[in-house]
This record gives sequence, structure tokens and C-alpha cells, in this order.
Amino acid sequence: MADKTEAVSIWDVPVRVTHWSLALLVPAMWFTADNSLWYWHTRLGHVLLALLIFRVIWGFVGTDTARFRSFVRGPASVLDYLRGNYDAKREIGHNPLGALAVIAMLSVIAAQVAMGLFAGDPYDGATGPLNALVGVGTADWITDTHEWFVYAVFGMIGLHITAISIYAGVRMQNLVGPMVVGKGEVAVGVEGNSRASLGRFLGAAVVAVGVAVWVWFGAWPLG
Amino acid sequence: MIRIANVRLIAATPLIALLAACGGEASEEAGDGAAGAESAGAPPAEIAQRQDNFEGIGDSFKTIREELETDAPDMAAIEAAAGDINARLQRVPDYFPEGSSMEAGYDTEALAAIWEDPDGFAEATQNAITASEGMMAAAASGDPAAVGEQVGSLGLNGCKACHDKFRVDDD
Repeated sequence: MADKTEAVSIWDVPVRVTHWSLALLVPAMWFTADNSLWYWHTRLGHVLLALLIFRVIWGFVGTDTARFRSFVRGPASVLDYLRGNYDAKREIGHNPLGALAVIAMLSVIAAQVAMGLFAGDPYDGATGPLNALVGVGTADWITDTHEWFVYAVFGMIGLHITAISIYAGVRMQNLVGPMVVGKGEVAVGVEGNSRASLGRFLGAAVVAVGVAVWVWFGAWPLG
Repeated sequence: MIRIANVRLIAATPLIALLAACGGEASEEAGDGAAGAESAGAPPAEIAQRQDNFEGIGDSFKTIREELETDAPDMAAIEAAAGDINARLQRVPDYFPEGSSMEAGYDTEALAAIWEDPDGFAEATQNAITASEGMMAAAASGDPAAVGEQVGSLGLNGCKACHDKFRVDDD
């Protein structure tokens, strides 16, 4: 406890922007669906799609703490973490248990977005851009699943906020601050995050937006 | 000690809020207007009835379209579904009591335009009934291609034409 600490960079700007965009967009998606605002639901859904694609690419080409390779570790590391063999002042980025939550969170949101692309009925309101690629029965099943699966997304968000609260209240560790400002206190001598490459960021962003636009227009030549 | 207790309380707040939100959802659901409007009181029974009825129409219409996607469409199933759609469409006028619109604050997508333009709504309903009769005739003929043509007619002139004018649908 007596160790001196200093602020180092933990999360890069793209990770933070992606994170807080998800925090705004997921509730917005629920709100637009609940209020039959399909014009916005379908458009925001594609923004969400682009963000998810970007985050996955950034998980391979981004900064150290953004990369899946750096934070997704095996069951042994997770058990080790649970036994208390982890010093949050000496490590930056996701801990081994939090890494699993990141993967779970991204997966449920991605599954929900993917289902939305096929959901709907052309004779009954809005449809996702890929609706015509599947049969009527399949689209109907996907639509029904898309409707209840939002509770899986809510469940993950509940778990996420609960975990942050436990870290804040019981372990006296502020996880929200670094996600806002990018920096956090670590033991003196612990190295901060690597620097983001503008070229890689632009490349990932162009691909992500490009794919989302391509899907919006029906994913030719698939459609 | 007080500090720890406070921090624990802060930590528990989202959990409590989450539980409260889950508990409150069921009771709020009934008055949750489609456009966030204030509730106008207990919803008329017709709202749930017409929603069930339209769900049934949608299911039967999907049955027909699913059969058409198969190599050997079950014409008997198509004929039964077409008859069901027709019977349900005949009941549509019974389910729209004055003031049961979304604008009146109910959890429904039925627009006030239904009562502002009763002739237009009656015409749209009749168009759907007529289209469903065309579907019944096509089903009875036993020709899947004829049924396929009627899908477009019923879906666009029946379902969609009415939804575009009288139901919230801003995609």
C-alpha cells in the first residue's frame, strides 16, 4: 500500500470512444425499438455494427491493452486471478476475469446486431437489410429471438455495472476514471499503454464503416 | 467504518436500482404508451384482441409464404391459412373502439388517423378482405404460382397499404 503510484495511459482514445458509444447506443437501440422508431433503430443499428467491427479489428491491430491477445488468457490465469494472485497496481488493462466479460459483452451485442440485420417482415414494417436472404420462417424465428435476446444484453450490462460497483466499493479501485480520461494510477515503474497508430486506426475505421455501409445496402452480391 | 459502509451502499445502489427496475417493469408496462405518452387509464380489451387478431393474420400469412418456399407446397395448409386470414380480417372493424389510439396514450401502434378518416380505414380494411378472397380462390385452384401472385397482392394492398396510413411505421 505504501508503494508510490503515478498516472500512466491505460486505454487509448478509440477504445474509450467505442466503449462510451456502446453505452449510449445500446439504450438508444432499446428505446427506439420500444417506441417503434424504426427509422432510427435501423440506422443506429448500423452505427453499432460499424463500432463492433471496428472494436474487433482494433483488438488485433490496436494498442497493447486493446488487443485480445494481450488480455484474453487461459483458465489458469483466471483461477490465479480469483485466488488473489494479481496486483492491479502492477498490471494495466483488463484483468483475466474482466477479459471474459469483455468477450461475453461484445458477443451478446454482436449476436443481437447480427439478428437485427435479418429481422422483420417486408409486409409488416421495418426489416433488416439482409432479411430477404433468409426464408420467411427463419426471419420470423430470428425476429422473435431478437426481441427477447435484448434481456441477455441487459443482463451483461447489469453484470458489468455490478462488477464496477464491487471494485469501487469493496476493492477501492476506480475503473470508471481511466475509461473516461485514459489514465490510471499504477505503481511507479509500471509501463503505460503503447501509443495508437493513426494509420492503423484509419484503416480499421474505413473497413468498419465500409462493411456497415455495404450491409446497409443489402450486402451485394450476397443480397 | 462509516466510510466503508457508505462506499458499500454506493456499490449496492446500481443493484438495488436494477432490482427496482425489474420489479416496476410489469406494472409500468400496461401504461407505457407507444410514443411515451401518458396513460389514459386501463386499456380497452379491444387493443389486446386486435393485436392477437393481427398476430394471427401474420402467422397465417407466414404459413402461406413458408409453404411456397418448399418444393411441394401443402395446398390444404395454404387454403386453411387463407380462410383464417379472411375470417380474421372480417373481424377487424370490431376491434377499433373510438379513443383506443396510440395518441390516446395506450400501448398500441394504432394511429388516431383511423378515427379521423373512418372511410379511408373502412376502405383499407375492405381492400384487405378483397385481397384475402383472391388468396382463397388461388389456394382453392391448387396452383402454387397463383398463390405466389396473391402473396404480393395481399401483402402490399392488404397489409402494407393499411399499415402505411394507419399504423406507426416510420422506417
